[in-house]
Amino acid sequence: MAELTYLQAISDGLRQEMRRDKRVFVIGEDVGVYGGAFKVTLGFQEEFGPWRVIDAPLSETAIVGGCTGAAIMGMRPVAEMQFADFVSCAWDQLVTVAAKQFYRVGTPIPIVVRLPSGGGFSGGPFHSQNPESSFAHIAGLKVVCPSTPEDAKGLLISAIEDPNPVLYFEHKHLYRRIKADVPEERYTTPFGKARVHREGDDVTVVTWGAMVYTAAEAAQQLEGDGISVEILDLRTLVPWDRDAVLESAKKTSKVLVLHEDTRTGGFGGEIAATIAEEAFEHLDAPIVRITAPDSPVPFSPPLEKAFIPQVDDVAAGLRELAEY
Amino acid sequence: MATPTAVDVVMPQMGVSVSEGTITKWLKQEGEEIQADEPLLEISTDKVDTEVPSPGSGVVQQILVQEGETVEVGTRLAVIGAPGAAREEEAAPPEPEPEPVPEPATAEAAAEVSAVSSAETPAPAPAAPEPEAVDVSGDGKSFVSPVVARIASEHNVDVSQVQGTGRGGRVTKKDILAFVESGGQAAAPEAPEAPAEPAPPPEAAPTPAAEPEPAPPPPAPAPQPPPAAAAPPTPAAAPAPAPPAAAEAAPGEQFEPMTAMRKGIAEHMRRSLDTSAHVTSAIEVDMSKVVALRDELKPEFQKSYGVNPTYLIFVARAVVDTLKDYPWINGEIRGEKIVTRNYVNLGFAVELADGKGLIVPVVKNAEGLNLLGMARSVTDVAERARNKQLTPDEVQGGTFTITNPGGYGTFHGTPVISQPQAAILGTYAVVKRPWVTQDEHGKDVIAIRPIMNLTLTYDHRLVDGALAGRFLRDLRQKLETWDEAAY
Amino acid sequence: MAIAREAEPVGSLHEIREAGLDREDLFGIYRNMMITRGIEERGHILYKQGKVPGSFYTGRGNEASSVGVATAMGPEDIGTPLHRDMGVHVTRGVEPWRIFAQYMGREDGPTRGRDGNVHMADAQLGLIAMVSHLPAMLPVAVGAALAFRIREEKRVAVAWYGEGASARGDTHEGMNLAGVRRLPVVFICDNNQWAYSTPTHLEYACETLADRAQAYGFDGVVVDGTDVLAVYRETKRAIEKARGGDGPTLIESMTLRMEGHAVHDDAFYVPKELFEEWAKRDPIERFRSWLRENADMSDEEEDEIAAGVKRILNQAIERAEQSQLPDPSTVAQRVFARPEDLDTPHHK
Repeated sequence: MAELTYLQAISDGLRQEMRRDKRVFVIGEDVGVYGGAFKVTLGFQEEFGPWRVIDAPLSETAIVGGCTGAAIMGMRPVAEMQFADFVSCAWDQLVTVAAKQFYRVGTPIPIVVRLPSGGGFSGGPFHSQNPESSFAHIAGLKVVCPSTPEDAKGLLISAIEDPNPVLYFEHKHLYRRIKADVPEERYTTPFGKARVHREGDDVTVVTWGAMVYTAAEAAQQLEGDGISVEILDLRTLVPWDRDAVLESAKKTSKVLVLHEDTRTGGFGGEIAATIAEEAFEHLDAPIVRITAPDSPVPFSPPLEKAFIPQVDDVAAGLRELAEY
Repeated sequence: MATPTAVDVVMPQMGVSVSEGTITKWLKQEGEEIQADEPLLEISTDKVDTEVPSPGSGVVQQILVQEGETVEVGTRLAVIGAPGAAREEEAAPPEPEPEPVPEPATAEAAAEVSAVSSAETPAPAPAAPEPEAVDVSGDGKSFVSPVVARIASEHNVDVSQVQGTGRGGRVTKKDILAFVESGGQAAAPEAPEAPAEPAPPPEAAPTPAAEPEPAPPPPAPAPQPPPAAAAPPTPAAAPAPAPPAAAEAAPGEQFEPMTAMRKGIAEHMRRSLDTSAHVTSAIEVDMSKVVALRDELKPEFQKSYGVNPTYLIFVARAVVDTLKDYPWINGEIRGEKIVTRNYVNLGFAVELADGKGLIVPVVKNAEGLNLLGMARSVTDVAERARNKQLTPDEVQGGTFTITNPGGYGTFHGTPVISQPQAAILGTYAVVKRPWVTQDEHGKDVIAIRPIMNLTLTYDHRLVDGALAGRFLRDLRQKLETWDEAAY
Repeated sequence: MAIAREAEPVGSLHEIREAGLDREDLFGIYRNMMITRGIEERGHILYKQGKVPGSFYTGRGNEASSVGVATAMGPEDIGTPLHRDMGVHVTRGVEPWRIFAQYMGREDGPTRGRDGNVHMADAQLGLIAMVSHLPAMLPVAVGAALAFRIREEKRVAVAWYGEGASARGDTHEGMNLAGVRRLPVVFICDNNQWAYSTPTHLEYACETLADRAQAYGFDGVVVDGTDVLAVYRETKRAIEKARGGDGPTLIESMTLRMEGHAVHDDAFYVPKELFEEWAKRDPIERFRSWLRENADMSDEEEDEIAAGVKRILNQAIERAEQSQLPDPSTVAQRVFARPEDLDTPHHK
């Protein structure tokens, strides 16, 4: 075990896979000499050379499309989008080519696209988004959203191993703020298995990414009032752990779904609908969603604070539910 | 969710051609509680043995067909009902039709609760003061959430009797659970008293078997009030005599019923020998390469994929490869025609865990599987075969079969072909044997080598001895010079 | 003033021998062109008989270009042919019956009914299946070339696009990355002059598309796409150059799309005279004459090829019609690959 930041854990996992498997290479903007905009691949080019840590032109389409072609030829590419927001430029390659190739012609596309996502530091409309639900809607893509350093490493290795296109959303706000023990050896964290971040009896919060910590702080606040909150960290959205969510919903009978993405069409809707369909007779209150509002991510701090769900918002929502 | 009205359990159709099935075991007895999808009984058909999951939640009210009996597909085997309903039916005269729901008040309420959206759910208790109880916009107390409605119907609770602590006095899940726990269900007077009533207080009866259980007792047979009184004179049913038709067992012999599976195996084996002209050829294979490769792959396969690359898997992979060149061995005689195909559906003879039969699950399109794929598929079907979880589809459509009696150390056998296939391969124990081979100078030397015998039992109507010989030769060649690229 | 070089036509049998083809090879090319056209003609008939669902596209007029390029590819090279490039599939060895099965949405088509018409490819033959967003395949081919470069393999990727697709950003991104990294890739632009109903002057403003190659730092060549041998020779040069580490080439192959965008389109917007002019340069007829004049193709040889093609197509349709339609219950299966599905030629 070593204490690593969330960012170091990603870096560690990636480095281990590159040492272990020659097929793994990294491509992205400024990932080589500069080590990536967030320094996830710092020192990689020195170790692995310029043909395995490839500084690409400013071409998200060519980066993801290139990964697809290389993957078909047997490589295990890991692309870095400098910001998750820029993946819109590679939408077609992911959605049209990579997601559908296996279904259409049986050719697996084992690629990983790393997506530094999320806000909280005045990144504005183009450096703060959480576009995971857009991709969760596309059949053939897997969507991963780790929240802890240990999961960040294990899920990245699983993503590289997975024979499908995997979108790996790494939350920028967690990069250096979150630190924890991470096993030094190689390990994988399975997709589709939620993690109980905190056990509780009265209300369930279903969430992922940075919101796990927002929920945890809110739960802490309510502890004094005798309200016991269970927090489920989904870890992966495609596939997502329906069983764990339904089980917790049946246990507490009150569910709050929390995400940093905007509301309409957000993945929380899918979770709420599934609970309503499959655990209706176990509900003791309406399912509540706390999400960002349906607007672009604003720049100015008071606006951004109003946009991203805050601890107090979540605490109030939990209290409402508990008292319902 | 408890089943609001009684649900029939019927003999399922386990494959299009299956018309009947035998009950091998009831996993729940009358009066026991069961959840939907929980295994209720085991059946045996001539295709497959399997568990039957319960179609509903509640109590096993009635078992209509006993273990060992064989009935047609679609026959009612048991009835699952709500707990309250079970008691009611017992008091009612024996009546095969469970439709007339016994307790109108609670059962109807339960039915409605599950059908109507929560906001519109009326208070279920018959005693409720009518209209305003339905009013959703009122004081909030009348709103019954889905989970509260469910618990109320399960425990026959009148929600209006429960003190609510939720918003506006709403009854929460916690409230109603606390109410139930504190014995509050007495508030629903009509339900649970049933068993107490018919049981009179007779002097301690000598036959404990007749003591009515506190849980719902068997429904139909003897509703007479004092069962104990009737019992002593005639302990009639105790040592049940053999079924009427069967011949007498001689002294020292014991009868046991033949399961449907055993009957099926017997019929199939006889038919196969009557159909095909069975001939067996054998060959010895030096497994050195496979053994080495297996040792190398085993840790990775087990660690990364949780499967064991057994010798059988290697043989299976090589068989599929070899069959490509021998379409007739993968073929069949159908009427006047010879059928060949561009795929291999590989059957594996699997012994059932209880040692009482075998089943041949089929790995479909085995030609598309690499070594790992083969290992996974075989492990999967074999496991599910042993756990009786195969679907009918998975035991049909085989084009070639492998049987592996070698696990017990046997080195030769003449298995019976699985009809309508053309051949079956037997694999036997890998044993170290002195083996004449050549050293680097081409001189004969004796070496210790792991040797496996393989037999091909084939239908001589279609497959000539020479063809079988070439097949075995090619198969041996593949195993002895295992091409790593092939996995 | 065009920047790109214009390719010379191939004159004699001797010349083409130097480029690596003997007489038998030439007959093979001719046969592949005939099969290519035959498949599309027969497919069109099946379409009109209601046996082919959806819409139907042909590459009539592009047989020389597609077959010529594919003939120049090595066995280990890979490509991303598009919907006018049936000849590539045929030349790489796809069995015609599987193409008909594909047309008819049957289980035995390369996509098992999951996709239609020319949206297919057999990975075993080194081909990657196209998507409708045509230029999207350029970055994919460039990625394949990148893999070859990383692994230092002497293999080449061939990437197709059309003059319509040239207008999209993927084309630029793909070519730019290939140029920057000098990757072993050859770009083939099937310029058939109409993108659906849009003529070339509304798609690009330079004189030739091959001129753009210079902007990406590599060579451009314009070749007559109705001359199979010229296409072959230019492609061969470009492939060997890429294989030798000297970077990409852009080959613009000039043809006319001899039918509508798809069979529901009568191409009224194409001037009649243009069709008449290009009909005189029909690639198959042109090559047939060349073979008679330069390679002494006899009547018997010509008839034998024609009869052989007819036989193959008849048998292919018969076999394809026996193929099953897909099982509806499998609709949501195999959306995601499993680890064992990585057993492709490249994932050993």
